[in-house]
Amino acid sequence: MTAPAIAPTTLRRGAGYWLTGYRAMLRFDLASSRSWLLTFLIVQVLMGAGMALIYGFYLGDMPPEAATFLATGAPTLALIPLGMALLPSLIATHKIEGTYDFMWSLPVRRTATAVSSFTIFTVLALPGVAVSLAVAGWRYDLDLRVSLWVIPAVLMASLMSASVGFGIGHAVPDPGITNVITNLLLFVVLMFSPISFPIENFPGWLAAVHHVLPFWHMANVVRDAVTDGLVDSVGRSYLVLGAWTVGTWLLAAWAIRRRG
Amino acid sequence: MTALAPPAALRSGLGYWWHSYRMMLRWEITSLRLVLPVTVMVQVLTGAGFVLALGLFFGRVPPRAALFVSTGVVVLTLTTIGLVLGPQLIAQQKAEQTYDFLWSLPVPRTTAAFAWLTTNLVLGLPGMLVALGVAQLRYDLDLHVSPAIVPAVLLTLLTGTMIGYALAHALGNPMLIAAITQLFIFVILGFSPINFPADQLPDWLAALHRWLPLAPMADTVRAGLTVGVVEDVTRSYLVLGAWAAASVGATAAILRRRG
Repeated sequence: MTAPAIAPTTLRRGAGYWLTGYRAMLRFDLASSRSWLLTFLIVQVLMGAGMALIYGFYLGDMPPEAATFLATGAPTLALIPLGMALLPSLIATHKIEGTYDFMWSLPVRRTATAVSSFTIFTVLALPGVAVSLAVAGWRYDLDLRVSLWVIPAVLMASLMSASVGFGIGHAVPDPGITNVITNLLLFVVLMFSPISFPIENFPGWLAAVHHVLPFWHMANVVRDAVTDGLVDSVGRSYLVLGAWTVGTWLLAAWAIRRRG
Repeated sequence: MTALAPPAALRSGLGYWWHSYRMMLRWEITSLRLVLPVTVMVQVLTGAGFVLALGLFFGRVPPRAALFVSTGVVVLTLTTIGLVLGPQLIAQQKAEQTYDFLWSLPVPRTTAAFAWLTTNLVLGLPGMLVALGVAQLRYDLDLHVSPAIVPAVLLTLLTGTMIGYALAHALGNPMLIAAITQLFIFVILGFSPINFPADQLPDWLAALHRWLPLAPMADTVRAGLTVGVVEDVTRSYLVLGAWAAASVGATAAILRRRG
């Protein structure tokens, strides 16, 4: 009997290694999404289209412009729960169940794991966004003008949302606090954000806060892509969304590196 | 040495019931000591939040909309505890397997139900008062509080709590209870004529609400706080009374069956 041969060592770096890791993590994340994907699509549509209907009940009779505004907030509302609420609570669940350390022990680059999360959570949000916009448009009988800008707008908003959720999930050590933050976030988004209502309705100080927070900017770029003439300029909104995306990446990088 | 059996106390009568009720109330409040302040805070925040958020929904808030939301949040705080928090707590007891222990306590079962009702009243009042206060400050409402508010609040609380109670005790699966209560929040906040007039709902939904308990709850409470907004509350009291009787009956039947 001969001694077992040592497996040939492969080089664990380089673009090829990164790509292999990324593909493996994509498969891993996609497979684990099976447990929540369907429920989640329902939640998204309830939050997007459902809130468009509910806001309508609160407002009663409204002029067509207000209805358009309200309905075009629906896709943004459908984006938020996936990235900003589900993603951090999944990470919190990993921490509670003790599988968090296992995830980081997988032999892939940490950036591959992160990019895989961003890819999955950006893409899986899209069907709910489309359904929400369609339902809201149908309910208010709107004549939407969807331009090609819808692609960068929705992708940017979705990526930003996933990045913020990823940052919160990793940077907040206590899973209980993560849940409080995500609930508070949904509360603020649904009741106090200029997503479905014009920012002009907001008192000066709150409007100023929303120029810094990402919610109004998300709604702005998405609305601009599906309507004509409701939004003045979106350049600044894209910049703010970009800043939040990169900022939360840095936050997550810091939190993950700190783990050592 | 012979051991003497302790004298047997009579386990019936009003005195025993009252004693048990006080014990159960203390039990209830003690076991909720962590949940209680958070719940009251959430109630106060959502109540005041709805009142203030309305100003953001509208550019200029119509007085009628302000009046509806401000009186609607009272119903909201009264129903969400009974219909949402209550079943979730019972689901948690079932999941943690303390449910059977609770029913093994040597008290009449009605005292447990009454203790829970009392707790709900204590939980609901602060949110209700703060919301009304905030609404008054923000919108300068035309409120006329009449004695009719007392039966309206009590009947609303009783019906909401007992429906939640019956549901939670009847259903075995905690996940199912959680899903139903989430649905309740959605229906209560968004699809019921509580925070807005029924004529702003689609006709079929408004017609359905004439037979469900939520709209009558809102009507009776609103009639106790305003003048001239709600036309006739007799029908509302009848429908609500029927729901109250049915939910108390169902709860009694379920609790007896477990015995």
